[in-house]
Amino acid sequence: MYRKFLNARSPLRLLEAGLHGGLGPGNLGVVVAGRGVGKTSFLVGVALDELLRSGTVLHVSMEETVAHVRAYYDTIFEDLASTTHLEDEARVHREIDRLRRIRVYPRQALTPDKLRDAIKMEREAGSVPALVVVEGLDLETLQAEELQDMKDLAEELAAEIWFSYSSLDERIEGVPATVQRFDPLVSVVVSLEPQGDVVALRALKDHDNPDLSALHVSLDPRTLLLVRA
Amino acid sequence: MLSEVTRTRNIGISAHIDSGKTTLTERILFYTNRIHRIHEVRGKDDAGATMDFMELERERGITIASAATHCEWEGNHINIIDTPGHVDFTIEVERSLRVLDGAVLVLCGVAGVQSQSMTVDRQMRRYRVPRLAFINKLDRSGANPQKVTDQLCEKLKHNAVLMQIPIGAEADFEGVIDLIEMKACYFDGPNGEELRVVDIPEPLIHEAEAAREHMLDVVSMFSDDLMEAILEDHVTDDLIHDAVRAGTLAQELTPVFLGSAYKNKGVQPLLDAVNAYLPSPVDVENTGIDLSNEEAPIALNSDPNKPLVALAFKLEDGRYGQLTYLRVYQGTLAKASSIVNSRTKKRHRVGRLGRMHADQMEEISEASAGDIVALFGIDCASGDSFTDESVQIAMTSMHVPAPVISLFVKPSDKQAEDNLSKALGRFVREDPTFHAGVDEESGQTLIAGMGELHLDVYIERMKREYGVVVETGAPQVAYRETISQRTEFNTTHKKQTGGSGQFGRVAGHLEPMSEGDFEFVSRIRGGAIPTEYLPSVEKGMQSVMGKGSLIGFPITGVRVVVDDGQSHSVDSSDMAFQAAGRKAFREAYRRSKPIALEPVMKLEVEGPNEFQGALLKTVMQRRGTIIGTAEEDGFCRVESEVPLSEMFGYATDLRSMTQGKAEFTMEFSRYVAVPAEIQRGLVSEFGAKLSVEEED
Repeated sequence: MYRKFLNARSPLRLLEAGLHGGLGPGNLGVVVAGRGVGKTSFLVGVALDELLRSGTVLHVSMEETVAHVRAYYDTIFEDLASTTHLEDEARVHREIDRLRRIRVYPRQALTPDKLRDAIKMEREAGSVPALVVVEGLDLETLQAEELQDMKDLAEELAAEIWFSYSSLDERIEGVPATVQRFDPLVSVVVSLEPQGDVVALRALKDHDNPDLSALHVSLDPRTLLLVRA
Repeated sequence: MLSEVTRTRNIGISAHIDSGKTTLTERILFYTNRIHRIHEVRGKDDAGATMDFMELERERGITIASAATHCEWEGNHINIIDTPGHVDFTIEVERSLRVLDGAVLVLCGVAGVQSQSMTVDRQMRRYRVPRLAFINKLDRSGANPQKVTDQLCEKLKHNAVLMQIPIGAEADFEGVIDLIEMKACYFDGPNGEELRVVDIPEPLIHEAEAAREHMLDVVSMFSDDLMEAILEDHVTDDLIHDAVRAGTLAQELTPVFLGSAYKNKGVQPLLDAVNAYLPSPVDVENTGIDLSNEEAPIALNSDPNKPLVALAFKLEDGRYGQLTYLRVYQGTLAKASSIVNSRTKKRHRVGRLGRMHADQMEEISEASAGDIVALFGIDCASGDSFTDESVQIAMTSMHVPAPVISLFVKPSDKQAEDNLSKALGRFVREDPTFHAGVDEESGQTLIAGMGELHLDVYIERMKREYGVVVETGAPQVAYRETISQRTEFNTTHKKQTGGSGQFGRVAGHLEPMSEGDFEFVSRIRGGAIPTEYLPSVEKGMQSVMGKGSLIGFPITGVRVVVDDGQSHSVDSSDMAFQAAGRKAFREAYRRSKPIALEPVMKLEVEGPNEFQGALLKTVMQRRGTIIGTAEEDGFCRVESEVPLSEMFGYATDLRSMTQGKAEFTMEFSRYVAVPAEIQRGLVSEFGAKLSVEEED
């Protein structure tokens, strides 16, 4: 399959439709799930979609090594390429490597200041991210002003910023209180929940839209790919 | 037998160039009775320090090659792996770090933590090597152990704690106070060999008590028993030792010892600490790779009764002939037994087996898990693994990459020419990634390897070890060519010049192949080409792949499918079909939109955080792809992929952009298509070269 068809048929288009246009530039989104349910896979899936449409991505994580994060991308990309019979796989892979930057902060707390510095550094090195994925920022201790700062940053860059939040329970009833307290700042909250053989995606908050219709997207826990539900 | 293993310590002594590492090693060997006279490093008495035996090192006063030397202290076997102190020789450093279980980080009491100490320390952290610190040169003016300990904490982020305090300072430095036993140690006799342990001098009692209290505070974090004992006031020496050991093995504590190796002070307590706190081979997890299971990691066990697994980490040509230094990871290596090289599958009989003390040797009959020994007369490369054939395990990957860079070398005279071939023969034997040969076109000697620095090291060694001075040509990147589309061919080779002629026709197609250099597939039906001539076609095609028509480099990644052809009962021959194959390949290749490929290196560059912008810039300026950045403890490491052709002179540029505070490692990653504009440049360069050759 050629890349443009792959992009058109990406389950992310369904996600965007379900979310009435997706997260959107300048907005903050949060993915909520229990530990090990697939937050990283979801975020890498979102990032790969951006990369395949020639967007730039910054992935910030508290992993030990850059190689570890990269391995996630490589694995998910290879699965995607083989299930869709992607044309010219090696060239596409090189191009997404060029568009993506990874930053890791092993054994230390990730703070909003560090995140701001990281984005500044990447901009100086010629890469302005259209999508920022942040894993491991402690939302429990984060102040509303700090998140406001992130929101300002997202607007300034016209970028989407996705955060992850680990809930203690695998069942997620609604927007967790920790995320709820940032209410107007976070535009989109989605949850991941295991349901039988798949991990189902559900919108808990969709901008100001009261209609939280079904997303029709799930995560295949075997390939870690986002798929049509 | 396991108790023997627990009495072994494989340690490195790692330091900044002038911290006195070699002097310290020399003293250790003296106190452990391995040598009977003390020499000084910079050749005051011609003999030079014992560990420092390569000519090159003697001249520079630094140690480049990692020799292993064995000594005994209080019933323990200590193998000292002499790690290089110079930043450029990272392959050697990393290989030696691999075989050691613990290390002593030597710091200068005056200069403290220098940029070089940071480098070696980070390397050790990466390899998870537990370490002790030894603050040396306390006899020098300006020496300040507390300041250096603070730097260990601040600059290197160690949880460092003084286990001793000095008695006297600078020129009056006399000895140390042990904060566990609360005794003063003096080092008497002409060479400090007579240890005198007495009560702490009155004026220092208060200071010693305060320092002990601080030490206990830090150390008790690693033992609940010690913490309890402190609260209940029944602390024993053993409780403290156990806690220090636990913290050190977990790499969460760095006990600090003091002395002046040059003035023969403080070395014996350091040896006691090596025995007490650094790990034995059983305390360390080692993994090999399982060759029978796609090189999956496999845990090794320091058990002498398990199947043998050993790593050759260093080769040396010396007065005993070729010596191979081995670390035994598992099992037992006995004299007269037979071992197999995992890479070459060659079987060797273990002849002489020795423990080396710099350049003297003690013969032994067997070595078991955890030991470091030298083997004689075994032909292998460094990095090779050996087993007893019952297991398929290696310590390093079996994959030997093809060289990515080459350069011409020209000996200065006839004498040099003979020595050059000796030197090259030896280097090629030692290192499977180093190649040497004669270039067919120019008749000059060509050496090839994995990077600019890799070749520089060998050019330097030619000079030092073999007295060969060579002129070198400009380094040449090993480009490749490949096809970018499927291309049909239907080619006839026909020659009729009286007598029997030549005839052969081959038809089929070329197609790109992502792995491997060349594949020949025959789909001939009904004998269109007689079976005996198919190998001729293949041979003919392969013979032209050495030099592509695009830029003159070897062609790779081509699958040839032959599905039709024609032969003649009289005029067809092996020669005719070889010629047909050559012609078919050449013609089809030209129509296949060939592209040039270049080697891309995986580059990791690391330095203080304030240079992060500069580090990123060095990559961006070189057509590099930044994969990511890791920030930790005030340092950052930028991981990237950069074409080799852009890396010439990188070391110099990096040094000037970061005041010498950053360093890098680089290894071959893969071949990648060059950008169109670069390909145009390479093509016109090749065209110009061809036209010059034609004029000649």
